Amino acid sequence: MLLEIDHLVVRYEKAVLINDISLGVDKGELVSLVGPNGAGKSTTLRAITGLVAWEREIKRRSTQGDILLEGRVTFDGERIDDVPAHEIVKRGLVLCPERRRPFRELTVSENLWAGAYLEKDKRRSKERLEKVYDLFPVLKDRSRQISGTLSGGEQQMLAIGRALMSEPKLLCIDEPSTGLSPLLRQEVFDKIMQLKGMGITILLVEQEVSTVFKMTTRNYVLSSGKIIAQGSGEELMENEVIRKTYLGL
Amino acid sequence: MNILISGLITGSMLALLAIGFSLIFGVARIINIAHTAFYMLAAYSIYYLSVRSGVNPLLSMLVAVVAVTVLGLLVYLFLIDPIREHEGAVLIATIALAMVFQEVVLLTFTGDYRTVDFLITGFFTVGGVKVFYQQMLTFGVVLLTLVALWLLLMKTKLGLAIRSMAEDREVANLMGMNESRLAMITMGISVALAGFTGAVLAPLTVLNPYMWMEPLIIMMAVVVLGGMGSIKGSFVAAFILGFTEAAVVFLIPKGAFLRGSVALTIMILVLLIRPEGLFGVAFEEER
Repeated sequence: MLLEIDHLVVRYEKAVLINDISLGVDKGELVSLVGPNGAGKSTTLRAITGLVAWEREIKRRSTQGDILLEGRVTFDGERIDDVPAHEIVKRGLVLCPERRRPFRELTVSENLWAGAYLEKDKRRSKERLEKVYDLFPVLKDRSRQISGTLSGGEQQMLAIGRALMSEPKLLCIDEPSTGLSPLLRQEVFDKIMQLKGMGITILLVEQEVSTVFKMTTRNYVLSSGKIIAQGSGEELMENEVIRKTYLGL
Repeated sequence: MNILISGLITGSMLALLAIGFSLIFGVARIINIAHTAFYMLAAYSIYYLSVRSGVNPLLSMLVAVVAVTVLGLLVYLFLIDPIREHEGAVLIATIALAMVFQEVVLLTFTGDYRTVDFLITGFFTVGGVKVFYQQMLTFGVVLLTLVALWLLLMKTKLGLAIRSMAEDREVANLMGMNESRLAMITMGISVALAGFTGAVLAPLTVLNPYMWMEPLIIMMAVVVLGGMGSIKGSFVAAFILGFTEAAVVFLIPKGAFLRGSVALTIMILVLLIRPEGLFGVAFEEER
């Protein structure tokens, strides 16, 4: 397994966000995490990319409460649960965060360069930039534009492009379709399928379950911080309880 | 003409101070009240070296800036960094630090007003106004520094990281940018700018142990007007305030004492009307 999460627990003070989950993602897979709001999907992604630990450090230093983080996370054969967030991307695990969050005051191309921050060889960064532009031609057209002025769909493309600039082995994408029109959603999903076709392993968090299930190899259903079901899209859709209660379909 | 020259000089000084202050606030959310105290220390170091010890003025400027920067980094390491995430504590600690610097200067140099000689003497007249060569020199050097700073921020990888970190720490972290290292580097740049401002301003001003307070207030007004954390905002706002002050002094000579209140009035108006300032980012709650 490329990524293995083993008995992960995350607690903010008394609120249990993740209650002992274990999951894995294999090379080349497109795996989704679905479930109702507040199920702990985003927190899972934040935990594996080191952001929960980073937040814990801030809370401790500002004496504003504590976060409990337990469990093992293994990536590419190495434990990463005690690696600081800014070093995790070095190992090939990157998160394209919720709400896209481009650096709004920076131009499109500066955002992409920021994504390749760790690459010391300028020529290689440049090659990656061209690849991203090939994938998202709209970014090339707008490369000198301030990214805060992009439309939602373009910002999502930029966020994915920026994450790709680090040339990840595993790309985590958090709710890419939120707030987009149906047409743009489809475009985002098409791009994700295209990435999968390029052999990039993807862990996807999404609300748009019916579309996602058609794309993925496997899925995990989360509810109240627990994995309550897993399997292929078809298998999960056959289970009436899961379909009606947790997926709202 | 007088307004123009005085406005340009004050404005460019304020810009240097405010950008330094903004940088470290942007990157590490540190509000460094002692920022202008470093500027005072640099001015006094030059006074001590060049006037008291007879060191070459240029060399003493260099030594002063380097010494103040080193001091700033030590302060950061041992005082600010451990409490960095606690905004209230940082405020109190840096106020205390500024007071300590003030008292040390008071004890060492007494409260007497001190001056540092011009590097070049002489003046020329434009439109009936005396312009000292020293003023032009200071202005030129400050302008060059502003350009260099702009290049550093806009054209280098370090600058990209600083600007990214200033906008969204969490995402910058995800991109592999090391927050503590960047904060340390930025603190160095910030204090060096404060020290540099003190160094080039020293010949044009009167040194006293309380000289850090007035620029502190005006600098805060600049930062509020320009928008917290926005470097472009600090730059523009510094010149706006620089010119406004000069205009007030010039247009109502009897009201010269109103100078300080102009900055404060602008600050209050901005906070009432547009709290995020000219170019400010309305800060989104993290997460």
